Amino acid sequence: MNHGPYDWGRPSDDTYGAYNHQIAAANNSQFPKMNTQQPIVTGTSVIAVKYQDGIVLAADNLGSYGSLARFSDIERLLPVGDSTIVGISGDISDLQQIERILDDLQVQDSYDMEKPNLKPEHVHEYLSRVFYNRRSKMDPLWNSTIVAGLSSTNELVLKYADLLGVTYSSPAIATGFGAHLAIPLLRRKVETEEDASKLTEEEAVELVRNCMKVLFYRDARSIDKYSLAVISQSRKKIDIHKGLRCEDMKWEFAKHIRGYGAPQL
Amino acid sequence: MSVTSAVSSDYNSGVSNVPIEHQFNPYSDNGGTVLGIAGEDFAILAGDTRHTTGYSINSRYEPKVFSVGDELLITANGFAADGDALVKRFRNQLKWYHFDHKKNLTIKSAARFIQHLLYGKRFFPYYVHTIIAGLDEEGKGAVYSFDPVGSYEREQCRAGGGAASLIMPFLDNQVNFKNQMDPDSNGTAKKELKYLKLDEVISLVRDAFSSATERHINVGDGLEILIVTKDGVRTEYYPLKKD
Amino acid sequence: MFLTRSEYDRGVSTFSPEGRLFQVEYSLEAIKLGSTAIGICTSEGIVLGVEKRVSSPMLESSSIEKIVEVDRHIGCAMSGLTADARSMIDHARVSSLTHDLYYDEPVGVESLTQSVCDLALRFGEGASGEKRLMSRPFGVALLIAGFDDQKGPQLYHAEPSGTFYRYDAKAIGSGSEGAQQELQNEYHSSLTLKDAELLTLKILKQVMEEKLDSKNAQLATVTKEKGFQIYNDEATSELIKSLADQDVDEESEQI
Repeated sequence: MNHGPYDWGRPSDDTYGAYNHQIAAANNSQFPKMNTQQPIVTGTSVIAVKYQDGIVLAADNLGSYGSLARFSDIERLLPVGDSTIVGISGDISDLQQIERILDDLQVQDSYDMEKPNLKPEHVHEYLSRVFYNRRSKMDPLWNSTIVAGLSSTNELVLKYADLLGVTYSSPAIATGFGAHLAIPLLRRKVETEEDASKLTEEEAVELVRNCMKVLFYRDARSIDKYSLAVISQSRKKIDIHKGLRCEDMKWEFAKHIRGYGAPQL
Repeated sequence: MSVTSAVSSDYNSGVSNVPIEHQFNPYSDNGGTVLGIAGEDFAILAGDTRHTTGYSINSRYEPKVFSVGDELLITANGFAADGDALVKRFRNQLKWYHFDHKKNLTIKSAARFIQHLLYGKRFFPYYVHTIIAGLDEEGKGAVYSFDPVGSYEREQCRAGGGAASLIMPFLDNQVNFKNQMDPDSNGTAKKELKYLKLDEVISLVRDAFSSATERHINVGDGLEILIVTKDGVRTEYYPLKKD
Repeated sequence: MFLTRSEYDRGVSTFSPEGRLFQVEYSLEAIKLGSTAIGICTSEGIVLGVEKRVSSPMLESSSIEKIVEVDRHIGCAMSGLTADARSMIDHARVSSLTHDLYYDEPVGVESLTQSVCDLALRFGEGASGEKRLMSRPFGVALLIAGFDDQKGPQLYHAEPSGTFYRYDAKAIGSGSEGAQQELQNEYHSSLTLKDAELLTLKILKQVMEEKLDSKNAQLATVTKEKGFQIYNDEATSELIKSLADQDVDEESEQI
């Protein structure tokens, strides 16, 4: 190993020949500047629904590399402060970037001491601005996110923000495949705010768990292991249940499917 | 500098000499439609509350018409992130106007200012159809509409967004009496222009939106109408079909 | 005096221990050396009047410009190092035009004055990284007269210190002490524009060393209807004549 102050940690010249600095310095070379053009390792849907006393959120633990199930322990529900959960789908490295940005935000918030002031409405505004600014630089963070939590007035916040800076709010939100598969199931129970105010916590958890099961059945980029967060207004608390499994699945039908998998005689 | 002269390394045996094609598209269409009408002493600005991307309904209630103070209404319909950004910048600049000039912004000045906000991004435009409504210096209803890069015009009425092409001809006929003749003239004189009353305008708007809902997939769920009169701004909401 | 001050005379933006910025204070002295300028605000409009120091009979008096137009509805009189006023007037004109471009309305007179005063402190670096524009404070004071829909006719006095105040009537320059006293005696709120014109000339006449004529004095008005209007020599002569007539009348009354 080279121990020179400017080359510390590099392979030593006499063993491997001079180090080619051009390799690491892609930016000042004649390579064009490169931005994210497509997501690489990805997380699939995040789903969320309001109920009478809060919000239930879920996202599975898979990190896919194309069609390869590459990582099976990715945590995509991030707590931010003590009253916000951010659920992130899309590129995992950008997820980690967002994690750091939100960490900084929490550090900033803790500087003024006394009590935490960082609420979901602030997190959402900040995050959506980060997304919009990055997209305006044509260098997007390739994610769709759901921000959920209890606002400064202890009201429920459930909002969406994505790589384009597009935002909206709804009593039931899902990203990615969930927008197609889970939303119809969620809206069957919670079409309006009024519907949400009638749904109990047990019903909401049951509903979301069912959606995760359907997503596992039909979304090829999903896994049956997921995290589920329950935000409760009355308890003023957020519980994150990790490592949950899809239960009571029926796979008998699989053996009747022909044309895929090993030839059946 | 030519890209072909780029060094090749162990990690990159050949550098592409064709320009990199960005496949990231910074725009999307979030649907919806908006409509502004000016009366004699009032103006309205209405929009549906559906928010979409592609065939998905993201939200059934996401307001896009805003009352920003100084009895001004604004909407920027099209790509929602650009619309929100534009409205946010306008709100921010309105505060500065108040600090700097200690007076209300007139709708005429607001219109000119929005032109500069839009034209400032002439080469990376806000993908929106912007409409503002309010009362002019004489207390008369005023509607100004903009194209994405800032061309603007004061009008009696204007529809914008997804179903603009469905609603505008209806408005031409019902607000500006286009192609209507005076019934007593036996088809020799055009029907004379007159200001519509507020309740007439509201029912026109409701008809326009329920019809647009029938024919346009990105329009529906709810109709929010903001009304400015000399007494201030008020909001009315009417449900639309959710299919 | 100079011994005690010298340390804090060097840096333009260095406070003295007593909390003074000497260079700014000296700039106010520069104005006291300047020719007298007077502004009177009436309900009908504002009158600006200046003394022009025609230092030589060979000097073309029309080349001395001490009252200038900023925009149709705003005019400005100056006293002190008038060359310094160039950049201020330029800035004022740009501000006014830009406001009209951005807002499709004439700029407010107070906002315009504020924007000119924003320049005054640019002999130091700005708080948000603005570049230092000048090596020293301005050596000129302005009387800014204008009309806007919000506050009607207004008169502002802008100093090199960057502060400005609104006045009913204000005199600056070498004759300002006497002139201001006279304005205080003579000003009343029901003054007409005509009265103000004559009062301006009368006071100029009192404080000027030379004999008042159309070559060494200049007037301008700002009104709602006609905006900024500068008086040509004929109009000025006529006013001076009617001022003389008035004086004769007063004298004969006294007899």
